[in-house]
Amino acid sequence: MIQMFKAELLKLRRPRVALAGVASSLAFAAIATVTVFLSATDGSGPPPARGATIESLGQAGGATDAFVVGVSFIGILMLVLFIANVASEFSQGTFRTLLMRQPRRVGMLAGKMAALLLVAAGWLALTEIVTVVASTLIAPAQDVSTASWFGLDGLGEAASDYATALFGVTAWASLGMALAVFVRSIPLALGIGIVWSGPLEHLLADAWTTASQWFPGLLLEALAAGGTAEVSSTRALTLVALYVAGAAGAAALVFARRDITA
Amino acid sequence: MSPSRMTTQHVAAGMVCGMQTTTHPPAVALNGLTKRYGARAAVDNLSIEIPPGVVAGFVGPNGAGKTTTMAMLLGLVRATEGTGTVLGAPLEDPASYLGRVGALIEAPAFYPGLTGTQNLAVLATVGGHDVAQIPDLLELVGLTERADDRFRQYSFGMKQRLGIAGALLGDPRLLILDEPINGLDPAGVHEMRGLIGRLAGGGRTVLISSHLLTELEQVCDWLIVIDGGRLAFQGPAAELADRAGTRLVVAPEHPRDVDRLAALLVAAGHENQAVDGHLAIAVNGTEPRELAAAVNRTASAGGIVLAELHTAHISLEDRYLTMVNGEDR
Repeated sequence: MIQMFKAELLKLRRPRVALAGVASSLAFAAIATVTVFLSATDGSGPPPARGATIESLGQAGGATDAFVVGVSFIGILMLVLFIANVASEFSQGTFRTLLMRQPRRVGMLAGKMAALLLVAAGWLALTEIVTVVASTLIAPAQDVSTASWFGLDGLGEAASDYATALFGVTAWASLGMALAVFVRSIPLALGIGIVWSGPLEHLLADAWTTASQWFPGLLLEALAAGGTAEVSSTRALTLVALYVAGAAGAAALVFARRDITA
Repeated sequence: MSPSRMTTQHVAAGMVCGMQTTTHPPAVALNGLTKRYGARAAVDNLSIEIPPGVVAGFVGPNGAGKTTTMAMLLGLVRATEGTGTVLGAPLEDPASYLGRVGALIEAPAFYPGLTGTQNLAVLATVGGHDVAQIPDLLELVGLTERADDRFRQYSFGMKQRLGIAGALLGDPRLLILDEPINGLDPAGVHEMRGLIGRLAGGGRTVLISSHLLTELEQVCDWLIVIDGGRLAFQGPAAELADRAGTRLVVAPEHPRDVDRLAALLVAAGHENQAVDGHLAIAVNGTEPRELAAAVNRTASAGGIVLAELHTAHISLEDRYLTMVNGEDR
């Protein structure tokens, strides 16, 4: 597992990858911050479904509100990235090449996931920091007070937001990895993943309201929103953790037993 | 040992025939190995033994089961039945021997966006090998100047050579190469043969597969022929070559006399084989002209008129084709 972890990091620490990561982090943080602050209402109208008010932005967690809103949209992106990364190892035949050197398959999959999640964690941390900086810069122009942002409460909120975001990314990543291992084809896995977690879950939820309490994509949305009227954050967290454990276990079992013929 | 030193020693040692080192356990021993996909057996009850230190050619037509067998040796494909050992370790536990095995199976598969050096570094890290050997390996396969180019920019021959460099990480005792010559142009084939020659010897066993015997007969001292997943021949290449050579081809005027002529010739001490209405008699140390006269006399004494009586050279490739076409089981 450690050898695969190191090998995966070798692939990811190239200047191109680092540059793309930093650039996407900066762009993502800037867009999320500007969007959240410019769309913030003064509280006189109805509360926004997603986003913030000038008042909520001035509270302890206001510095990372843009980060929270932004990362709630990246679940599908993470799903796509992890599907593409893992499925391409099958389609390119590189799993075959690697397994001829290291036959412990479960360790290989775990090492690869750990390295990818480490990079994702770094990207999230950078994005949160940049979001805080951007929020600090834009706040005066929107008459948002930053006085409560940098106290202990503010740091606690930031840490909690980061942990929730990382959990969500880990969940999407695990589902993406499992789908890639089951299907082994990038287009097919992407098709299934995007269609299911995008329109299909929502359409099914329209017809069957209880779906929001059970479907993984909807549970992750509820978790990112800090819980909803239908699903508490505790229920969402618990069920998503079960989905992640189930997906990881099934993927490990399939990967360990399947013949590598490509 | 650095690859460059290793190469020098191997060249000096030349192609050491494995029969001299049979006191060691076989490099590969398979007993009744079988792989079924549904009702179809890709590999069927295959039992082979490869002595250590030989360059073993693994020959058979496309779909004969060569790649599946190699994949089972490498732990990529699980055997349905059968047992075996690789470098003395059980086949069921690839982790116990794969550190001493290098392989290139099917087309070389690397990360297209990484350079040759980066790809080998990833592979070395996964296998727990020293990355310091990478420059020497790239030099050995003639890729030093293109080491920093991306894999996707390589020609097919360069990709094959990078695959071989990857297989050599960790100085393996067993090298498994699946059709390394396939798809190469004539210059590439020549280059690859030279490279394979340099890799052999020094106690290292090399197992190379091909669907063409002519590609391997120049470099192999041990041959395994399979067809339809079954073993057709295994042994020293020289043994198969002995079965080739010049033959006397005889045909009676009337095809109905073939069986009677065959019996007459056997009675006269001329073992023969029926092939497509002809009889073939091996010319083993006999003067072909004398043998032809003797055969003619035997036929004539039996009242059979010969329509054909001539010599024909049976090449190793012809011998192999006869074998895999099912006429010589």
